[in-house]
Amino acid sequence: MKVSFPYMGTTVVYKKLLEMLGHEVIMPPKPTQKTINLGVKYSPEFACFPLKVIMGSYFEAIDKGAEVIITSGGHGPCRAGFYERVHRRILEAEGHFVDFIVFDSMFRDRKTFIENVKRLKGKTPLHKVIHALWMVYDMIGKLDKLEMEVQRIRAYEVNRGETTRIWEHIQKMFDKAYTRGALRNAYDKGRKMLAAIELHSVEEENRIRIGIVGEIYVVMEDSINMKMEQLLNSLGAEVERSQYLSQWVTYNMLPKWINWSHEKHILKLSDPYLPIQIGGHAKQSVGQIVDYSRRGFDGVVHLMPFGCLPELVSQSIIPKINEDFGIPVLTISLDEQAGIANNQTRVEAFIDLVKSKHKERLSQGEKNINKSTQHVTTTG
Amino acid sequence: MRELYLGVDVGSVSTNIVLVDEDINVISSQYIRTNGQPLETVKTGLKKLKKEFPVDGKIKGVGTTGSGRQLVGVMIGADVIKNEITAHATATIHFVPNVKTIFEIGGQDSKIIVVDNQMVTDFAMNTVCAAGTGSFLDHQSERLGIPIEEFGDKAMAADRDVRIAGRCTVFAESDMIAKQQFGFSKSEIIKGLCEALVRNYINNLGRGKKLEPPFVFQGGVAANKGIKAAFEKEINHEIIIPEHYNIMGALGSAILARDGNWNSQTETLFRGFEAADLEFVPSTFECEDCPNHCEVVEVRLDKKIVARWGDRCGKWTNSVNTVI
Repeated sequence: MKVSFPYMGTTVVYKKLLEMLGHEVIMPPKPTQKTINLGVKYSPEFACFPLKVIMGSYFEAIDKGAEVIITSGGHGPCRAGFYERVHRRILEAEGHFVDFIVFDSMFRDRKTFIENVKRLKGKTPLHKVIHALWMVYDMIGKLDKLEMEVQRIRAYEVNRGETTRIWEHIQKMFDKAYTRGALRNAYDKGRKMLAAIELHSVEEENRIRIGIVGEIYVVMEDSINMKMEQLLNSLGAEVERSQYLSQWVTYNMLPKWINWSHEKHILKLSDPYLPIQIGGHAKQSVGQIVDYSRRGFDGVVHLMPFGCLPELVSQSIIPKINEDFGIPVLTISLDEQAGIANNQTRVEAFIDLVKSKHKERLSQGEKNINKSTQHVTTTG
Repeated sequence: MRELYLGVDVGSVSTNIVLVDEDINVISSQYIRTNGQPLETVKTGLKKLKKEFPVDGKIKGVGTTGSGRQLVGVMIGADVIKNEITAHATATIHFVPNVKTIFEIGGQDSKIIVVDNQMVTDFAMNTVCAAGTGSFLDHQSERLGIPIEEFGDKAMAADRDVRIAGRCTVFAESDMIAKQQFGFSKSEIIKGLCEALVRNYINNLGRGKKLEPPFVFQGGVAANKGIKAAFEKEINHEIIIPEHYNIMGALGSAILARDGNWNSQTETLFRGFEAADLEFVPSTFECEDCPNHCEVVEVRLDKKIVARWGDRCGKWTNSVNTVI
């Protein structure tokens, strides 16, 4: 089958899995202005931004010959659960009759899940499928580890742009690896390449760490979030993203009784503020802000698509978290606008704020440490 | 010899250039309409400033801020290029050290900055809704045929209160026409407009923030007594308007240039007043390497490229070795 999927984050992973199952993969181009224009043109005006961008990606993939689109479903009150329906109808109205394979958590609808797996598996023998799954799971973990390193060291690179260039090269190396050995080689080589990057030395106590939270698509796909990770890095801050693919897979694919994933911990942290699931990633966003506060991060950037209901709710909870933990949070809502000057100003001012707060925290030293532990005990 | 610092705030409506001494006493200040030509405007300002420049003065540092900070920073050779939120807060904290809340309303945007213990702890900036900015008043002054400079006095002369919807300029306008037809005077309408602007501003930017006194109000709109009165009515507290309310951004960037230079012996990057005569040619081209088609800005000095920006991938920006 000629298959395609929405473009989000490190796409080499999905590509690899589908290739190993014997499919021809049609890579959708990384979203550009053209993708956005296409998506906006065919999507309902009030739909959320990710729906529009993904819509554009589908048109581009179909243009390149895609016949089947694989995507994830969703549950709860967030509109993401209806994406596939809406996309399919729009595509049909434009005369494109493609097939969709929608993956939901296997514990909700086991029958459909197994059917989907069977379709993807095709004639591939079972041992090959298991090999492919292991291989890809391994790959996600390795890529995520390297990416975390990239997000940390890019803040201190001497030659601007070098880390990003190397990171892109590393992803290409992974793309070419089809055996466990080749994968390990790519990983070792990637680590060495990252270690060789020339860095400014910054004292541990002067390092600024920022967490990025929010709706998964705008958090993971940097072509539509102003390249937020790179922007924060270029302003001298280390970055950690709330979502990595390996965490998502662990959380969604493991049965409940052995599911001790990070995400479970995050959801628990959000309970005092948002006790129920309201869809999307609102509960995660809230929990992650609490988590970042406890882990001593200096600030959080909260990304949301303009008009995203779940994230609007989490945004309104932020002042309360701030009262308890005092962590600065900057909310940025993203839409199709191309001009980034205003958001650039906001991010720069936010980093100034975070830096001066960091300095103050250093100078207050012990007094503050006592205070923050107090906070934890009162809320935990 | 006196050590002096230059601060430049290049906004979308006006460009301010200030010259200050080490203790931030204003020696000279220029307020010029930008008219969409930041480079030309700054050149004019520099030429004027040169005439007022003290004979024993020497520029020790230069800072730029505002939406045109990058371009102008490259042109004049700035030591510090800072966003306008930090610049404004820096100036306010210098002049009103115990400030807790800063209201700033400019021509095209408005901000609220929350300060605690001389440190910015929170801020909000509105750039989307025109109803909370100076351009809203500008527009209505045209409609009423009353120059914006007289707005304040007119508002103060009103006898009665009239409520005008401030949620959106479109609603405000139709509401204003309706109230005119009810027989309210121009003064009363203007007062209503001022109150509508303030309501909109507080609702939009103050949401979820703890606004505590002392309050400082700055930006071009602070010249309007009607707005000041409306603010005081809305938050029920006295408002401080600093002496240099309309050049706070420029002053802030001058202070940042001074503080960045304080302990070091490094020479300023300032190109000198001759910068006004240098031929800076900004141009743009569309990069065709991917479907993004980014519009890349390129600045040349003597045919040599001194800066590039505007590309999303960073390929062009990183190809030039300048610190922006």
